[in-house]
Amino acid sequence: MPHTLRTFVRHAILIAFSAMIVLPLVWVLRVSLTDKLTAYKIPPEIGHLSLDNYIEVFRSFPFALWFGNSVLIAVLATLISLPFATMMAYAAARFRTGGSPLWIAVLASQMLPPIILVLPLFMVFLSVLPVDSRIAIVIAHVAINLPFMAWMMVSFFEGDSRSLEEAARMDGATRWQAFIRIAVPVAGPGILAAGLLGFILSWNEFLYALILSDSSSQTLPVGLAGLETHAGVDIAPLAAATLLALAPVLILLPFLRKYLIKGLSLGALK
Amino acid sequence: MTTSVVNNAPNRIHVHDRRFGWLLTMPGLALLLLVIAFPVLWALFTSLFEYTLINPGFHTYVGAGNYAKALGDPEFLHSIRVTAMFVVAVVVLEFALGFLIALMLNDTERGKDLYYAILLCPLLMNPVVVGLIWRMFLHPSLGIVNYLLGRIGIPPVNWLGDVDVAFWTIVMVDIWHQVSFMIVLLLAGLAALPREPYEAARVDGASSLQCFWHITLPLMRPVIVVTLLIRMIFAVKTYDLVYIMTRGGPGVATDFISYFIYRSAFVGLDLGEASAMSGILLVIVLAMTAYLHRSMRAIS
Repeated sequence: MPHTLRTFVRHAILIAFSAMIVLPLVWVLRVSLTDKLTAYKIPPEIGHLSLDNYIEVFRSFPFALWFGNSVLIAVLATLISLPFATMMAYAAARFRTGGSPLWIAVLASQMLPPIILVLPLFMVFLSVLPVDSRIAIVIAHVAINLPFMAWMMVSFFEGDSRSLEEAARMDGATRWQAFIRIAVPVAGPGILAAGLLGFILSWNEFLYALILSDSSSQTLPVGLAGLETHAGVDIAPLAAATLLALAPVLILLPFLRKYLIKGLSLGALK
Repeated sequence: MTTSVVNNAPNRIHVHDRRFGWLLTMPGLALLLLVIAFPVLWALFTSLFEYTLINPGFHTYVGAGNYAKALGDPEFLHSIRVTAMFVVAVVVLEFALGFLIALMLNDTERGKDLYYAILLCPLLMNPVVVGLIWRMFLHPSLGIVNYLLGRIGIPPVNWLGDVDVAFWTIVMVDIWHQVSFMIVLLLAGLAALPREPYEAARVDGASSLQCFWHITLPLMRPVIVVTLLIRMIFAVKTYDLVYIMTRGGPGVATDFISYFIYRSAFVGLDLGEASAMSGILLVIVLAMTAYLHRSMRAIS
């Protein structure tokens, strides 16, 4: 094949692929901006566009409560996990603490299907330890976040700050000071990225929140999943609600780009 | 690399360093034991008893009874089979499409950033939202998909209600959601490949296909193995999509193992048997994870 034809075919395929991703999202946006009747029209028409559905979402459903619960739970689960994970990762990178057995266990922890953990957690929170269901969900999300963050962060502590820490130790700094004042700031951007990815994991989590929540502690995914049964196929406000649920992730994505590969490949690729 | 640190034969580490390492590790380890090891052990313990939500309590010890019941339950075996089919289908299709797109992007300069930014979009999307969006599109009479197919003369398809179609509908939606995962990782692997072998091959007059087959594939092998394994393990866990789109149906066409365990526990109310099924799933996932860990070591 001549070179130009080949380039043309390549771009044609890439454009088609990109369209498959973008068009559904554009269509959801369009549905979210139409009035209820137009949203159902087949063949579709664009009609008059307005933000009414976005207001409707807050009026007709406890959307603010779901959103607030999701933010609260994700922030708490992340803030609890992050310091523990940072310390574990640093110890593994510097002193190989725990060795292979511990880190195989950490890897296995993040691979565990949530259904395995949710049954015992449900039993424990139901009978032995009846806590506020929001706290129960936070605890469950720590079980996802902690191993993920710890595993991801080990490589952030390799290399860069080692000699700086040694110099500080020569000058009389304690090990703890070398860790907090040097290693953590040097790995700062990576730690922040791990925290943001952990926030997204918790934000997106569905099964724990579904089983452990009650009506006052429903998170966004649980609330949205219930919408389709409540409101039938009232798709215009549903489209608006789904886009509002996606917004935080789409906003965070550009900041995470650099760390995405590391996070997704569980640290295997840079 | 994560794994290299952990696996190298330990050099001598000062005893105070060692102590400090454990001091930093203990709190996190204690938390992990509390939120992961303890529930897992609780589930395994429960699996040895007759424990139902109607009659809860560890009164009747049944030993391996729940495991025998689970393995003799045709619906459970069916859910394992459906899950295995799903894992193979999505991993093979996402890999084929993902590798193709990754190779093309790797050869592209113009517009690469834009293509990349677009394909990142579905990556961290909430699976519940993905399910809801596609449910809306795939509605038999009101959905945009059937309308568009109608315009080119294809009769409407009952995407989620037809026993023969629903499974493949879930596969397609999963591909839409997850193929970017494959692309991003494979592209990272491709970008890290050395240039010299390709230059040498070009001097020898090798075709692009030969280059791909004899250079790219062998060099990419470790990355491919790790990418496939991670994706497989996550596919085994698939739950949200079927909960939102099909509730395991129609009939039991999309009754994946996580959803089936959920049903056994909260519809069938038999937590003992559900815990035994969790135990079986645990063994499957741990075996895959052990293989993944070995493969990750091979990369670094």
